[in-house]
Amino acid sequence: MKFDVVIIGGGLAGLTCGIRLQKNGVKCAVISAGQSALHFSSGSFDLLNKLPDGSDVDCPVEAAGKLDALHPYKKIGELLGFYADEAKSQLIGCGVDVVGEAGANTYRITPMGTLRPTWLTMSDFTAFPDGNSLSGKKLLIVNIAGFLDFNTKFIADSFESRGAECRIVAVSLPETERLRLSPTEMRAPNIARALEPETVLAALLSEIKSRSEWADCVVLPAVFGLSDLAPLDYMRSVIGKKVCLVPTMPPSVPGIRTQLVLRRAFERMGGVFMLGDSVAKADLKNGEIAAIYTENHGDYGIKAHCYVLATGSYFSKGLVARPDSVVEPVFGCDVDYEKKRADWYDSSFFARQGYMRFGVVTDDCFRAVKNGKALANLYAAGSVLCGFDALQQGCGAGVSMLSALYVADKIMKG
Amino acid sequence: MSANGKSDGYDVIIIGGGATGAGTARDCSLRGLRVLLIERFDFAAGATGRNHGLLHSGARYAVTDKESASECIKENMILRRIAKHCVEENDGLFITLPEDDLGYQATFVKSCQAAGIDAEIIDPELAKRMEPSVNPSIIGAVKVPDGSVDPFRLTLANVLDAKAHGAKVLVYHEVTAMIKEGDRVVGVTVVDRKTKASHNYYAPLTINAGGIWGHGIAAMAGAKVDMYPAKGSLLIFGHRVNNIVLNRCRKPANADILVPGDTICLIGTTSSHVGFDEVDDMRVTPDEVDLLLSEGEKLAPALATTRILRAYAGVRPLVASDDDPTGRNISRGIVLLDHEKRDGIPGFVTITGGKLMTYRLMAEWATDLACKKLGVDKPCVTMTEPLPGSRDEDEMPKGKSFIVKNPIRKSLEGRHGELSSKIPSGNEYDASLVCECEDVTVGEVKYALSELDVNNMVDLRRRTRVGMGTCQGELCACRAAGMLAEAHDCTKKAKDNLANFLNERWKGVYPIAWGDALRENEYAEWVYSGVCGMKQNDLR
Amino acid sequence: MNIQQVNISENNFEQCIKCTICTVYCPVVPVNPDYPGPKQAGPDGERLRLKRGEFFDESLKYCLNCKRCEVACPSGVKIGDIIQLARIKYGKKKPKLRDVMLANTDFVGSVATKLAPVVNASLALKPVKLAMDGILKIDAHRTFPKYSSQTFESWYKKNAAYKQQSYKNQFSFFHGCYVNYNYPQLGKDFVKVMNAIGYGVNLLDEEKCCGVALVSNGLINQARRQAELNIKNIRKSVLEKGCPIVGVSSTCVFTMRDEYPHLLGVDNADVRDGINLATRFIYHLIDECGVKLKFRDGIKMKIAYHTPCHMEKLGWAYYSASLLRMIPGVELQMLDSQCCGIAGTYGFKKENYPVSQGIGASLFRQIENSGADFVATDCETCKWQIEMSTSKKVMHPVSVLAEALDVEETIKANAK
Repeated sequence: MKFDVVIIGGGLAGLTCGIRLQKNGVKCAVISAGQSALHFSSGSFDLLNKLPDGSDVDCPVEAAGKLDALHPYKKIGELLGFYADEAKSQLIGCGVDVVGEAGANTYRITPMGTLRPTWLTMSDFTAFPDGNSLSGKKLLIVNIAGFLDFNTKFIADSFESRGAECRIVAVSLPETERLRLSPTEMRAPNIARALEPETVLAALLSEIKSRSEWADCVVLPAVFGLSDLAPLDYMRSVIGKKVCLVPTMPPSVPGIRTQLVLRRAFERMGGVFMLGDSVAKADLKNGEIAAIYTENHGDYGIKAHCYVLATGSYFSKGLVARPDSVVEPVFGCDVDYEKKRADWYDSSFFARQGYMRFGVVTDDCFRAVKNGKALANLYAAGSVLCGFDALQQGCGAGVSMLSALYVADKIMKG
Repeated sequence: MSANGKSDGYDVIIIGGGATGAGTARDCSLRGLRVLLIERFDFAAGATGRNHGLLHSGARYAVTDKESASECIKENMILRRIAKHCVEENDGLFITLPEDDLGYQATFVKSCQAAGIDAEIIDPELAKRMEPSVNPSIIGAVKVPDGSVDPFRLTLANVLDAKAHGAKVLVYHEVTAMIKEGDRVVGVTVVDRKTKASHNYYAPLTINAGGIWGHGIAAMAGAKVDMYPAKGSLLIFGHRVNNIVLNRCRKPANADILVPGDTICLIGTTSSHVGFDEVDDMRVTPDEVDLLLSEGEKLAPALATTRILRAYAGVRPLVASDDDPTGRNISRGIVLLDHEKRDGIPGFVTITGGKLMTYRLMAEWATDLACKKLGVDKPCVTMTEPLPGSRDEDEMPKGKSFIVKNPIRKSLEGRHGELSSKIPSGNEYDASLVCECEDVTVGEVKYALSELDVNNMVDLRRRTRVGMGTCQGELCACRAAGMLAEAHDCTKKAKDNLANFLNERWKGVYPIAWGDALRENEYAEWVYSGVCGMKQNDLR
Repeated sequence: MNIQQVNISENNFEQCIKCTICTVYCPVVPVNPDYPGPKQAGPDGERLRLKRGEFFDESLKYCLNCKRCEVACPSGVKIGDIIQLARIKYGKKKPKLRDVMLANTDFVGSVATKLAPVVNASLALKPVKLAMDGILKIDAHRTFPKYSSQTFESWYKKNAAYKQQSYKNQFSFFHGCYVNYNYPQLGKDFVKVMNAIGYGVNLLDEEKCCGVALVSNGLINQARRQAELNIKNIRKSVLEKGCPIVGVSSTCVFTMRDEYPHLLGVDNADVRDGINLATRFIYHLIDECGVKLKFRDGIKMKIAYHTPCHMEKLGWAYYSASLLRMIPGVELQMLDSQCCGIAGTYGFKKENYPVSQGIGASLFRQIENSGADFVATDCETCKWQIEMSTSKKVMHPVSVLAEALDVEETIKANAK
């Protein structure tokens, strides 16, 4: 099999890169070892929320200049704002409806009911301009009876601390009650699926409507629209007052939809998406990748002019931690990590963890380095990269999309 | 009744909610004494819950300490009867590796038999068939009646029975002073750790069952008990590699016991002296992890590639008898100190030393002494009277239950025995799972919250195994916190609890955080620090 | 420290980090609340079963063995294998007569073929269907695949065998039960295509049903015996004669490549790469070996391709789709990859019928709305299910190729 570009990794970075290339007529294949971390999406995409010194960021584009030299944004440099806008318009173009600007962070709502800074927010959710938006509001928090991954008490507590008045109710329908027969499978996507038929959704909404007279705003778990936005639009039109969705514990319905929508966009443009496959070995010749071989395709090699390593971090095994080292398992690229295991961790769960910023070393244009030398046709993008802490700095989605777009452009410019 | 007439109606105050304290509370209340049990944190939060969970046959001590060995085998047989829901009758093997002296085997077996332990030399080939995970290069094997015991369940069962017989139990209450009249101890000053309120309790007798912390409690009464804090570290593996306890047939050393217990197995221990300033926050070092792994692999080679769930350490409450720096040659024997005789402090007794296996015997001794002092003449029945949870099987639930799946039903029954009939399961909500790794239902959490003295999520874990499974709380912590908010009607506290619970889990994970353990934690970080937006200052 | 470099024992379930992704992609969970779902039935349950076998639950039988959980899993956990192995190891329920009949596709097939007109007629009769429904618990809605009056093997021996040695390249065709007893035409189509590109078609010395239905119905010992016999004959072909094995059914091929070693413990490592699927084999010949296909003029068809579960697991739908796209005038739509609900013999059982149709509902809707002339797929049981549940006919990609092929031109193009 021959392609122009083979992208290893089918998450946010891999698909962002693939879509940009394929849109420009570059024939791509994405090889994805299982589904991606988009399945745990918060419903928002962060660009930059905090600097390494812990100070808050209001304007990510300006603040990026103050990052460490190793941070991927430093390689993108002045084009950061440009690529941030490109990322946003590409998402919207593919059908992922988002709001937000790289010049000013807004606030997203968390499953705990707290507000956290972010860049782009999916239209399922509300992007709050500041923390005072809830003050004085009457909020009706509605759960689906029996759903354990939506913590109404926590949410009410957080909202009340911001000056809102909250009431909690639970609603049920025969279709959602049926899910409860299983002790475990009443999960967000299964609820979303049960609510897919319009008659079911209509019944639920009329139940909610009948109980929401008192409220200014109805708060619901994000269990609507597993494959498209239609149920959300319908819901908003029926309830007739402000609806504020709150993300659930994983799996994330908006995240799953985003994965699906991006994959469909990529395939519609002619891209080939190979799910459930992983690279078993690679042929390296003269400092370049000549071919790769996967578990599924066995001895039938896959060849391309360029390869993109978008395999993610530990979760998706883009990085593998051993007791004494951290390695990149596909090509054996150089990984930047602390040599002493004790330096990988902080003893507090919520503190900055050293291992978070380990990753693959690249040259100035994100070509992966192996044995100290950049490979000519292997680029790296997304959370496999070194030099940033996606959680403490709040920059995971931004690094994924911006580095992916940057790499796509590098490949096209040759 | 104290000397000047103050009384709360208690005959005896017991300090310490470990197995010994709980066992003593049970024995005292079964003999008709009015008991107050005081625990600084939670039941089984100290050394009781931080060991192998090995139902010793006594074989391990047979060569070096015959007295301990014969105590062990007697208690072993008793626990099989009275605490069957806490015990797994797994059997044990003492294996000889090529690097070990096979000559030791004969001495070992002879010593076992002398102590009354049924030790049988078996063909190494048979041993390999009985326990396929064992190191295939073994040159000798001895079968002994080892097993495993769940220390949390055991302690709780003693508490439940003590309460059923009238004992009052205070958890999260710390003894800050002894109230004395002259030399006599007449009561204790206790601070409620949650409200910070202080209260005095009086009784003619106070029993110190504080384990390693008993050193400080004795000091408050003016007595000196020389304790020897010996740290032991252990590793928990993600699933059961072995079904028979594996020991090395040699003089006790580091990491030479691999115990299967419930869903996991664990290897231990190391042994090192620590200062009293460290005993409240034991952490496992990378060197200890490496040592446990390299030695553990010799018992069962699969450990070299098996996922580790967490590392933890406990402090053995050894009573120092000589200056051996390893702490291994001190007798595990029971130490009962009548401070009236020993130090001229009437009204005060210390029960210490010993081990989890002999908690019941320790309780019996302490209670015998208490009865003597209080003039009560009633025999001990704890060697025959089954604990709650280990009683008649006929009392199993009969009403309509929504729990239909084997794994869930058997998990509940396994943890609570006949008391599982008290677990609500009559609707879908109560039957749904909070913890999917260990199959803990909403009903079980409700039961624990309402009946089992649960103050926070860490307590809940000890009662139910919430968060003890593969994900170490990543999936269930948030659900359990929600239920805690509901039950205690305090969301603020539940949120703090969630943060602290995650941090407490991480404490055990980071010493072994590589491979899938690190992947699991990265995912947990994404969910809680990322999606949920929890922060360092959520920790309180 | 060189231990714990690979943090994984043979107990692959412990790679599960409880991310719950598999639960999103299980086709059974949304329609059957009695099924514990892949996470609970698989890695979660396995950990408990290692404690004691009594933690096994019979509801694991609701697993379709579609492996979509495995395809979705980011951790590489063999969830489907874990569930099926647990059924093999701990399942106590004996297979019913009905299950034995459904599972023995080749025995039943060989009898039915001899009596084809009678069998076909009676299987279509209402009273017979109701009797099967009532007594055997085979759902009355089911349309039984018709039995052919001549097996593929006997057709081949009479009409094709004699000329196969004249081709310069040779391979062995694993025809499977469906081609042999129900639809020999697919086998004939395959011979036509392969002969046109210069490949001689051989049969194995002896071929038994791959055993997929035996495995799912709990007849493990029989499945293992058949697997061993097949692998023995495959070895003879691949290793001694240098003839690779090619099948047209994605399920047979998947079973022989992956289920033999994983579920039945039949080692095939030396020949696994030599067991191939027709579309993949042909694609590779075109892609790497200079083989060319020439097609008739004036073809105009709109095809919707359905990816069978085992094809999704193999990751090979790309080959079938690419071949179909090579035909000028074909407009190909890839249907969303989702389970059709039949899962071999699963959907034939009365107790599974509503679940089976519930699983397939979304696929059937997409097919009806596709505007396609027909559906193409590489699996025969998917074909039955889709033909029964929609208004569309279903064809195998090889049959589509055969129909569109300009045989003369193809022979010429490959003669050089």
